[in-house]
Amino acid sequence: MPETRPRIGVFVCHCGKNIAGTVDVARVAESVSRFPGVVYATHYEYMCSDPGQALVQRAIKEHRLTGVVVAACSPTMHEETFRRAAEEAGLNPYLVEIANIREQVSWVHTGFPATEKAIRVARTVVEKVQGNRPLRPAEVGVVRRALVVGGGISGIQAALDIANAGFEVILVEKSPSIGGHMAQLSETFPTLDCSQCILTPKMVEAARHPRIRLLAYSEVEEVSGFVGNYRVRIRKKPTYVDPAKCNLCGECEKVCPVRVPNEFDRGLSTRAAIHIPFPQAIPSTYTLDAQNCLGIVPLRCGKCVEVCAPKAIDFDMREEILEEEVGAIVLATGYELYPKEAMAEYGYGTVPDVIDGLEFERLLSASGPTRGEIRRPSDGKVPKEVVFIQCSGSRDPEHHKPYCSKICCMYTAKHALLYRHAVPDGQAYVFYIDIRAGGKDYEEFVNRAMQEERILYIRGKVAKVFREGEKVVVWGADTLTGKRVEVRADLVVLAQAVIPSPGTEELARKLRVACGGEGFLREAHPKLRPLEALTAGIFLAGAAQGPKDIPESVAQASGAAAKAVAILSAPKLEHAPEVAEVQEELCSGCGICVPQCPYGAITVDEVAHVNEILCEGCGTCVAACPSGAMTFRNVEDEQILRMVRAALEAADVGV
Amino acid sequence: MKVNLAVYWTGGCGGCDVSFLELGPNLLGVLSRVEIVFWPALVDTKREDLERLPPRSIDFALVNGVIRTAENREMAELLREKTKFLGAYGACAHLGGIPGLANQAHGILESVFGPNFRPAPPIEGYPEDAPAQVLFEALPLEDVVSVDFVVPGCPPPAGLVARFFQAALEGQISLGQVFAEEKALCEECPRKREERRITRVARPHEVLLDGEKCFLDQGVVCMGPVTRAGCGAACPKAGMPCTGCLGPTPKAGDPGLAMLSALASLVRAGEEGEAAFPEEDKILDGFVDPIGTLYKYAFAKYARSLAQLTKRREGMRA
Repeated sequence: MPETRPRIGVFVCHCGKNIAGTVDVARVAESVSRFPGVVYATHYEYMCSDPGQALVQRAIKEHRLTGVVVAACSPTMHEETFRRAAEEAGLNPYLVEIANIREQVSWVHTGFPATEKAIRVARTVVEKVQGNRPLRPAEVGVVRRALVVGGGISGIQAALDIANAGFEVILVEKSPSIGGHMAQLSETFPTLDCSQCILTPKMVEAARHPRIRLLAYSEVEEVSGFVGNYRVRIRKKPTYVDPAKCNLCGECEKVCPVRVPNEFDRGLSTRAAIHIPFPQAIPSTYTLDAQNCLGIVPLRCGKCVEVCAPKAIDFDMREEILEEEVGAIVLATGYELYPKEAMAEYGYGTVPDVIDGLEFERLLSASGPTRGEIRRPSDGKVPKEVVFIQCSGSRDPEHHKPYCSKICCMYTAKHALLYRHAVPDGQAYVFYIDIRAGGKDYEEFVNRAMQEERILYIRGKVAKVFREGEKVVVWGADTLTGKRVEVRADLVVLAQAVIPSPGTEELARKLRVACGGEGFLREAHPKLRPLEALTAGIFLAGAAQGPKDIPESVAQASGAAAKAVAILSAPKLEHAPEVAEVQEELCSGCGICVPQCPYGAITVDEVAHVNEILCEGCGTCVAACPSGAMTFRNVEDEQILRMVRAALEAADVGV
Repeated sequence: MKVNLAVYWTGGCGGCDVSFLELGPNLLGVLSRVEIVFWPALVDTKREDLERLPPRSIDFALVNGVIRTAENREMAELLREKTKFLGAYGACAHLGGIPGLANQAHGILESVFGPNFRPAPPIEGYPEDAPAQVLFEALPLEDVVSVDFVVPGCPPPAGLVARFFQAALEGQISLGQVFAEEKALCEECPRKREERRITRVARPHEVLLDGEKCFLDQGVVCMGPVTRAGCGAACPKAGMPCTGCLGPTPKAGDPGLAMLSALASLVRAGEEGEAAFPEEDKILDGFVDPIGTLYKYAFAKYARSLAQLTKRREGMRA
């Protein structure tokens, strides 16, 4: 704090008519000029304009100001502007404060009391700024490497963009291959490109990229540290196959006596315990699924080793724990479909010919269990009547998920259309609530499905689905005609709600990132910061943040990558110094503050410590600290009390 | 040269007077160096003796007990006049203490009998030896006279009493000094702190307590985090939570509010967010007797409504 008596300058902004139309700005300046500590007060048309800023700078020099109060709009608008201007004029920027007389006064009041309130608001901030200390932003170095969690299309795109910008990337994928759900899809709407054909080049690029280190079959165990300096523990599960030696001959798979449902085909086919998820898998190698193997320790079978010519199988392979340092993290953990088993009205997933959208994708896929022929799971017959049910589990706040899963209208249209191509004499029905086809060429695509492909769109909800003999009976209502509808179908496809992939919440906890009510990762601001988590240095991409289609996921991934690159390429990171601070002589180390911190910025040994870089200045710990040892820089209790007194004091508001 | 000492007992239980004995053999050393000029509990001294003393002739006076009657107030004022360094000794004089909890009863008679209710004086008038007039509320010493230092506790622990005497005999007392630590009790507490999350609020007899674990982690409200250290965490070491007798740490402010704020922060039901609020409210509903727990000693000093402040001013005039 300056030794001399305070010399505060107050600058009242008209903001055109925004403030001056309601508040008598001249009177505010005149009244404030008489407050103790104020040596200069004036008003001006637009303080944020260049001449307005120059006015402030001139006054700082001429009146040797020790503090500046700009009575204008919200500090979120121009605090930075005036602090920078003050710094140029030689005043520490943290001795500049904004008194918000626009959002909090002129816009919400009319008439005489507005001026009085403006004076009171200005006066409180004059009191506050007198207690401010000059501060300097904290600085920290950056580890120039990024971590991308999730190897779906979003994660691949983010990793490629960061790597192409010249930074190292660690790409962690929990399953044996990258590719994610996009690898399972048959064709993509609205262009009907083959999904794998457009995905696999990117997968290969990611695998071959000199700056991308791919860790498949791996999971993030623990994350500590802070923006620019995260420390990550990654658990790499053993695949028991050396990818360098494996030549993909597939002999092991043939001799393996185990058959379990194939996850990649959503259980529509089986696989051996030693398997490769799909032919183009990256890394291109077999994986021995230890859980389903007859036994490695002690070895019970070992048939695969006997036939492996390149001797790639190694039962002694152990789990590895990798410790890595990264500067930024992109979370792209993707989605899963809401389980059919939750759908009481559609038979709890027990009717074999009621399948979900991804299962139908596998049926459509040329590399799928039926080689692209549409055959239903129960008896392998080609279904002649197929019912597609949209919003299955979505937009149903009473029983299921309240939100719209966004991609189902489009993929259902695609499904119905591809079905009609595959089975020209088949009939497709689509039950829908509304069609939400907001996207480039999306509406046209749905119209094509409705009109050219003669798919029967029925507006209404399906009440019940049950099995009757060989048929799956669908009871619904057509709300346009008001009639009951019964379809005796051969196959029913549910457009299940999109939910966050399992483990998303656990990962979020490890990273101290918030999840929304439905478990999707929460962005820092729904409109202005959609790519960032609230924790600095962590970015979100793809369906982990909310249901998204491929182009949106790719766009968000590129955006998140750009944000990550901005951190990785900064010479140094600066952090606002207005954060929590421990008065160590008062702290007893009780630790009550620790769990309060949403950023994990507090550690305790003998006393509590705040990591200045991690602290975002929310003040929760200050409120929780029972002994008053936790304080907030430039928002000390004493300042708040002075402000309250100044706000409530009856005397001399000058009106 | 001996030091003149006065000790006086206003509205209290007498435990403070006994607490000097905790010094054990050291008490003899102290007594050999002080001249007791006034200590009704120990030597035969009367109010008249005190009145006869010249102003500021007592070096140190220790007042224990709350100010509850007009007579208490008169004696406190008299001692103030005669004393160089006047100290609040014990929680009652310091914060109002347990008798200060009586201030909760304000307005009970008024609410039953109407706003202008006053108890009628006896028909014959008050007898000469009638008990002293009871003040509107119990007051900490600092509300009636200026207090130079505090020896806190209920009663003050021997270590702090010894510390006071040492400072007093060496002439090392500074104005405003509190003979306890600036840090909170947790500093001295050997219990282990782990979870920092309360899922149930319980009283000590309602749970099987783990003697090694922090009380708060076991859902028992312990005032340790807001209370000055200095007693060596006597209660937590003996298996009971701190009740806050040494008073709040210098920056804690109102200890009840500080602790309530901390409790509200520690109570967690499930994930953060509004969905958890009803469940968290339910947990806090299990907090029996919040005033008696959070303000066991400090109610008179900190719990003041505007109406009470007005009444208090009137009471002072009466």
